[in-house]
Amino acid sequence: MLCGGQLIRLNELLARLEARRCLKDIEPRLFSEDEGPQHGEVVELYGAEGTGKTELLYHLLCRCVLPEAAGGLEVDVLFVDTDYSLDMLRLVSILDSRLTSAGLEEAALRSSLSRLLVVHCSSSSQLLLTLHYLETTLNSRPSLALLLIDSISAFYWLDRCEGGASISRQEEKLSKCAELLGRLLRDYKFTIFATCHTIRRSSSGSAASCSSTLEADRPYLCRPWQRLVTHRVLCSRQEAENHTAGGSREEKRRQVFRVHCSSSSSRTKASRISSFCATDAGVQFI
Amino acid sequence: MVPLQEGMCPGLDGDLLRSLLAADIRTVEDLVSSDLEDVSRKCSVSYKALFSIRRVLLAQHTAFPVSGADLYEELLSSTAIISTGNPSLDKLLDSGLYTGEITELSGGPGSGKSQVCFGVAVHVSLQLKQSVIYVDTTGGLTASRLLEMLQSETSDGDEQMEALQRIHVFRLFDAYSLRDCLSALRRGGLLQASGGGSVKAVIVDSVSAVISPLLGGKQNEGMSLMIQAAVALKTMAKDFSVAVLVTNHVTRGGGGGVQPGLGASWSHIPRTRILLERVDRAPSGCSSTLRSATLIKSSRQPCHIKEEFDLQRQSRSVRSSSGKRKRDEADS
Repeated sequence: MLCGGQLIRLNELLARLEARRCLKDIEPRLFSEDEGPQHGEVVELYGAEGTGKTELLYHLLCRCVLPEAAGGLEVDVLFVDTDYSLDMLRLVSILDSRLTSAGLEEAALRSSLSRLLVVHCSSSSQLLLTLHYLETTLNSRPSLALLLIDSISAFYWLDRCEGGASISRQEEKLSKCAELLGRLLRDYKFTIFATCHTIRRSSSGSAASCSSTLEADRPYLCRPWQRLVTHRVLCSRQEAENHTAGGSREEKRRQVFRVHCSSSSSRTKASRISSFCATDAGVQFI
Repeated sequence: MVPLQEGMCPGLDGDLLRSLLAADIRTVEDLVSSDLEDVSRKCSVSYKALFSIRRVLLAQHTAFPVSGADLYEELLSSTAIISTGNPSLDKLLDSGLYTGEITELSGGPGSGKSQVCFGVAVHVSLQLKQSVIYVDTTGGLTASRLLEMLQSETSDGDEQMEALQRIHVFRLFDAYSLRDCLSALRRGGLLQASGGGSVKAVIVDSVSAVISPLLGGKQNEGMSLMIQAAVALKTMAKDFSVAVLVTNHVTRGGGGGVQPGLGASWSHIPRTRILLERVDRAPSGCSSTLRSATLIKSSRQPCHIKEEFDLQRQSRSVRSSSGKRKRDEADS
């Protein structure tokens, strides 16, 4: 069947038309009322090392794959791992604690894990080819509603060196990936969450000026990717407050992470600040 | 970028290749991203042939998705925890070095990083009887020191020799050789390098000694070499199920405290990071062999827990974390 100059098979057309699960309600404590990511939107989690991005990602992943009885959404998730940082043991311990607190058995763990697909990419060329192959996966799995990329900035320095002196050549591969993702989002209407690491350290200390943190938080990836991002989540570590001597030792040690979500989608421009700490059972919002 | 070559897949013969090159399609990525109808018109090739070539090339070069359940089963059967031989460090690391991950030890000069690495190498080769690959970039490793450490653990000469034979040393002094050595190890298999023994630990002492001279300024090559070495280490850890231990120097952070070197881009690479410092407590003036280790990044334990240990007696911890001091008058 010919459609707009491009040959499409009937099953592909059906896969595109069928609505995938909207993830607007994926985490109401993170996104303000009605500001959650809808069909075809991209959320970028940005922050330095040790600011809780990975924990947040696992929290969202668990929310998606868990069965409804345990408070999940029961959708399929594709995890694109570009820097071999997926910690399956940590993920499984979070899933396990959530399932046991909901009173479900071992079999539920296996079924939740089978909703997760993991792909390892070792270069931006392989990422581009894998995203092309993603179309086949999207066709065969209509319940795939979330694509997680950890992290989109893994090949930044490799591409910069390969591109030599010309900035357009440096950004060429990531731009192609971003354009392809844009087309896939429009056609198949899923959601993307991607983490992005900082490349510059912001100088800490109470006398640090606001400008240095702004400098470190400036987006540095290519324009096509920045245009694709609709929600930006800035993660940072909150300085540990000084508890009084009466406070328990456990509380003193708890590291609190601060999250600032801003959405620049066409609907409204909103922003919201929340805090969470990481426990054995995953992320706990404060 | 993978260039298109004749015979790469059935159907990609010389004529087709030439017409594709004429249409400015040189690499696999170009072919996969281009509009096939357009290309078939320009090169006057059948759409069906191009479509099947595209499908075969994609299948050859993509990474395939694996189900989470299968990945977890595989991980359960292949992950092992390698004890470092030092009980205080093991406590910090949640029983030891995990295979499939990179653990980083950072510290200033004289903080004991190399000594801890020797201790780990000796423990793995003697007690666990597994091979160790030691990449030495500082020239600090000597066989006599390793032998000394082995002699304090066992008095059997044959055992000492066997343990020494299981430690394979690579000496390199610049970033390019580091990258090439790690890539060769990853491609050729650790088995070849270790002469048939099973490798359980790869120690790189130190990464920053060869990489940090290339960082800074507007050059990208230093950062790119660092990331290439990191990727080689990570894939080696994952594919061959080995525990990777690297050492790093320290710099002064903005607030005046010490932090590990090599910048923000390196900080995402290791899964666990430990900071080693000297403990200046003895008022007697003699140099102390006490060191304190602080956990600064971990996915399994709360951060900033501290442990102290004595470099001289690595297999026994002197202090407990509660801070009670025990005067130990045992042999030095």
